[in-house]
Amino acid sequence: MRPPIEDYGLLGDTRTAALVDSDGSVDWLCIPHFDGLPVFGRLVGGAAAGSFRLGPRHPAEVVARGYRTDTATLETTWRTDTGRLTLTEGMVAEVAGQLLPATMLVRRLTAPDGPVEAVIAFDPRFGERRRAPRTEHRSQLLVCVWGTVAVALRTTPTAAVQPGRPTTVTVTPDRPFTCVMSVAHREPLVCLDTDTAWDALQGDEARWQAWCRDIDDALPYRQAVVRSLLTLRLLTYSPSGAPVAAPTTSLPEVLGGVRNWDYRFAWPRDASIGIDAFLGAGKHDEARAFMAWLVSATRLDRPRIPVLLTLHGKHPRPERELAGWPGYADSTPVRSGNAAAGQHQLDGYGWVLDAAWRMGEAGYPLYAETWRTMAGFADRVADRWREPDAGIWEVRSDTVHHVHSKLMAWLALDRALSIATHHRTSARRTSRWRAERAALREDIERRGFDEARGTYTRSYGSSETDAALLVLPQLGFHPADSPRVRGTIAAVVSELGAGSPLLYRYPSGRDGLPGVEGAFLPCSFWLVQALARGGRAGEADTLFRDLLALAGPLGLYAEEMDPATREYLGNYPQALTHAALVQAAVALRAEGAGHVTDPRGAVPVAEDAP
Amino acid sequence: MDWAGWALFGLLATAVLTGLMIAAQLGGLSRLDLPLILGTVVTPDPDRARAAGGVMHLAVGQVFALGYTAAFALLGQATWWLGGLLGLLHGAVALTVLVPMLVGVHPRMASERAGPASTSVLEPPGLLALNYGTQTPLVTLAAHLAYGMSLGLLLGVR
Repeated sequence: MRPPIEDYGLLGDTRTAALVDSDGSVDWLCIPHFDGLPVFGRLVGGAAAGSFRLGPRHPAEVVARGYRTDTATLETTWRTDTGRLTLTEGMVAEVAGQLLPATMLVRRLTAPDGPVEAVIAFDPRFGERRRAPRTEHRSQLLVCVWGTVAVALRTTPTAAVQPGRPTTVTVTPDRPFTCVMSVAHREPLVCLDTDTAWDALQGDEARWQAWCRDIDDALPYRQAVVRSLLTLRLLTYSPSGAPVAAPTTSLPEVLGGVRNWDYRFAWPRDASIGIDAFLGAGKHDEARAFMAWLVSATRLDRPRIPVLLTLHGKHPRPERELAGWPGYADSTPVRSGNAAAGQHQLDGYGWVLDAAWRMGEAGYPLYAETWRTMAGFADRVADRWREPDAGIWEVRSDTVHHVHSKLMAWLALDRALSIATHHRTSARRTSRWRAERAALREDIERRGFDEARGTYTRSYGSSETDAALLVLPQLGFHPADSPRVRGTIAAVVSELGAGSPLLYRYPSGRDGLPGVEGAFLPCSFWLVQALARGGRAGEADTLFRDLLALAGPLGLYAEEMDPATREYLGNYPQALTHAALVQAAVALRAEGAGHVTDPRGAVPVAEDAP
Repeated sequence: MDWAGWALFGLLATAVLTGLMIAAQLGGLSRLDLPLILGTVVTPDPDRARAAGGVMHLAVGQVFALGYTAAFALLGQATWWLGGLLGLLHGAVALTVLVPMLVGVHPRMASERAGPASTSVLEPPGLLALNYGTQTPLVTLAAHLAYGMSLGLLLGVR
């Protein structure tokens, strides 16, 4: 039986990530990077795509599961017939300057109550063809090789592990069972003993705890915010600073459906939202790194902002379907690549210029080169805003005049004009931006607002609304409590509500694909922000708490949720959802709302406490 | 050894190479920006880095030109095709040895092993500098080919 998506925990090292279920099975890991080929792909590739299970030999109840506080180390405890068995596992992120493998997964079983029988089932398969490795045993090491890729497994005590065959081991209170999996890609294997690997993992834990201590103590619901920020950081590819939308491909937006997309890429839009989230939480270095990535990665395409890029700023290969991959819950096709890369999405310019403006507001003036880049983007908006686009939701049917895109285009010009006051810019250029901004406003008000219903619409002339319009209060297009903004929020809630606190992103089934997708979780967090900024902090706080209650057992969120079953849908964990959660918490803080808890404990602290 | 030729034509050939690399960037072929990479060793500001890196690049080009001039002197001839061959070799060495080595010595360049503690913001070049765009190896080889051919041609004419 397949585990629900929310059952999976994220293990990561900021270069790639693994997903592990509550049975102790690693069902997803791409090497050497997030967008590499899977070595464990059971999540969407079936049993033949490989997995790595470490857990109780017989079915056992999970009695505790969670991340160690403020770390990326996951602990799962089962109750077996002979006592408790705990699996502690993680990937080591900080390997620079040390002779450690760039990718290493460390897993340790402990049995505090008495001897417990456990099983290790190590079955790596590589790539689209799910190839079994050429294997050899070297002393205490099992080495699996596929050309220039090698994976080594070492266990202590030594177990006679054979790929694809479960091996039973006995864990005793004084003798934990530890294994370390090392990956080498176009370089020699670094063969570690398990004690060194365990020490490296513990060193990482201390570093993550120090990283979390820098997060603003005054943020409401800090534990949830910290987990979201940590997840965002785990999904940031450290070598280039690229934000990965999600570590998975083709987790379905409809179970059994075709809405299965590859999210192992970086969206400039997500980087911009991430900048806002990290700045709001006091993690300025991460925000600056995202801005540096935006400037560097978009270089080949300027003044166009590509919809998405690979981790190193290249255009992804054409989208294709993986033959023979059964998909999660029989949801086919499983895709590699993302055809949205070729779309024209006007809203991206607004997000990026807004992020640049926020960096300046936070005290980080733009380098002259960065400003030239941003000014080029603004010129592009001035040139092209009259054209239809694919919109933020990347709908693959015909392009239309999305009102949200036009609003973001207005924002792009507005922010460019604000930044221009601090940088040398020709009067001719700013005059043009000003004129186009005015024309955009006039166009939006005339063609994008439904006077009868008192709401902005999904597209010009449409009778539908769009949950992306919930960002309206953040833009300064109208005051957040103005009738037009309030009317739009009300229309989104009433027309796109999927049972509080959930919202669909657009009217169900109106994207040219079969089936009805789930509720889109980032939109609900945008609603929290909209309510908070519109002076409805109490409602915003209630909604936020309702959304926190929908978090998976490990505090992670997917992209979507089935409103009926409350099962997660879509790629997981989803950076956009976590960034929106952080932004919502920051908005609550700004309005003096939210429940502040002691950052280092569970004791609630009254907001008026000294 | 033709010292005067080395001094003048080395500078010219480096200018040709730099110009081609910049043209490739402007044409959207590659993100490899040698003046920026060299200059960010001394400053994080991209504009200042380009100025400093431009001077550094000219100096590095002059050092390499010394090798070319010596090779021509040893072989007893300086021709465009010999320069081109040396240029291709030079480009191949730059892609496979010199640029990847920067990761180990550049204070602001991340490595493929960078983790969350890394504050380096320049992305690593990767194999054959492919991280800077799939056309980067071709652009680099072409620019070095032009560098070697320019030197061979000019020193030969002299």
